[in-house]
Amino acid sequence: MPHAKLPMSRQGKEVAYANKVRCQEAQSSLSMAAELALEGSQPVDLAKHPSGIIPTLQNVVSTVNMDCKLELKTIALHARNAEYNPKRFAAVIMRIREPKTTALIFASGKMVCTGAKSEQQSKLAARKYARIIQKLGFPAQFKDFKIQNIVASCDVKFPIRLEGLAYAHGHFSSYEPELFPGLIYRMKQPKIVLLIFVSGKIVLTGAKVRDEIYEAFENIYPVLSEFRKVQQCTPRLHVCVRCVLSTGDHAASGALFGHEEGD
Amino acid sequence: MGSYELYRKSSIGMSLTDALDELVTNGTISPLLAVKVLMQFDKSMNEALQQKVKSKTTFKGHLHTYRFCDNVWTFILENALFKTDNEIQQVERVKIVACDAKIISR
Repeated sequence: MPHAKLPMSRQGKEVAYANKVRCQEAQSSLSMAAELALEGSQPVDLAKHPSGIIPTLQNVVSTVNMDCKLELKTIALHARNAEYNPKRFAAVIMRIREPKTTALIFASGKMVCTGAKSEQQSKLAARKYARIIQKLGFPAQFKDFKIQNIVASCDVKFPIRLEGLAYAHGHFSSYEPELFPGLIYRMKQPKIVLLIFVSGKIVLTGAKVRDEIYEAFENIYPVLSEFRKVQQCTPRLHVCVRCVLSTGDHAASGALFGHEEGD
Repeated sequence: MGSYELYRKSSIGMSLTDALDELVTNGTISPLLAVKVLMQFDKSMNEALQQKVKSKTTFKGHLHTYRFCDNVWTFILENALFKTDNEIQQVERVKIVACDAKIISR
């Protein structure tokens, strides 16, 4: 065993590293499983997701009250991966690698945890931060944990006529392409905001529970299908090869196949 | 105008401090003069690094830990690669302390 020659500390480090790698592998296989599920090679529960598409959670924001006054400077000085700049922001910004999240820790003992990919991960991360605070000697508790927001995204894989959608659903839609290229759809039931892009990519936000995301997506999917953009040429914007060839317009095809002019 | 005292911990700063200690102990100079010399050293180091030193170095590595407190950044890099004009050096672990030069000159 070649490792026997290494000093203990180094060996320990390598074992830790190997575990880390294994962890990452497990994660990547998990995410692959998720992708497979999205592609439909693994059965999607069509009763719950009639569209066959499951929005992927991208960010979960949670809050918790540690219910004790905190000395932020002490925390910034003793904890790793902490930033504290009271002139800019009255909280310590702390990060951990697993689950990869960021926490805002306030002097009141309240904490916001962002960046997790699921509700459980958000809770686990919040617990880890509370533990760090405890280890620094504060009597931190874990009170009133609450998921405040869930953001998800997905791709319907067809382009969408945003103008038509905005016109038909004027009550819920705001589409100002000069300000923002996406259509902002404020659904009333469930109360979710959707960003809908021409490309067919969708962002859903404002949920407290993930079922609201799923419900909102299943609500909007038929609407998106209705306003699916039929691909056609827009000659002034980009030349369509088929049109040019079928009309036999020599100038146009010359312009398209520039090299022919030189021949 | 004050200067950062962080270069007192460098090898040249340590040597100077040792020498001054000896001079004060055997009574050659007064403690007050020694303090004055150290203050001048702080000032001169800052000036020299700002104006005299032209060589540059770049470094990168895996960020193990960072901290920002009291306007000081602290980084611990693992497997850092330092590159100067003609030399490349690999370091297993290095701590970087960075202060804002603009704050102290005000």
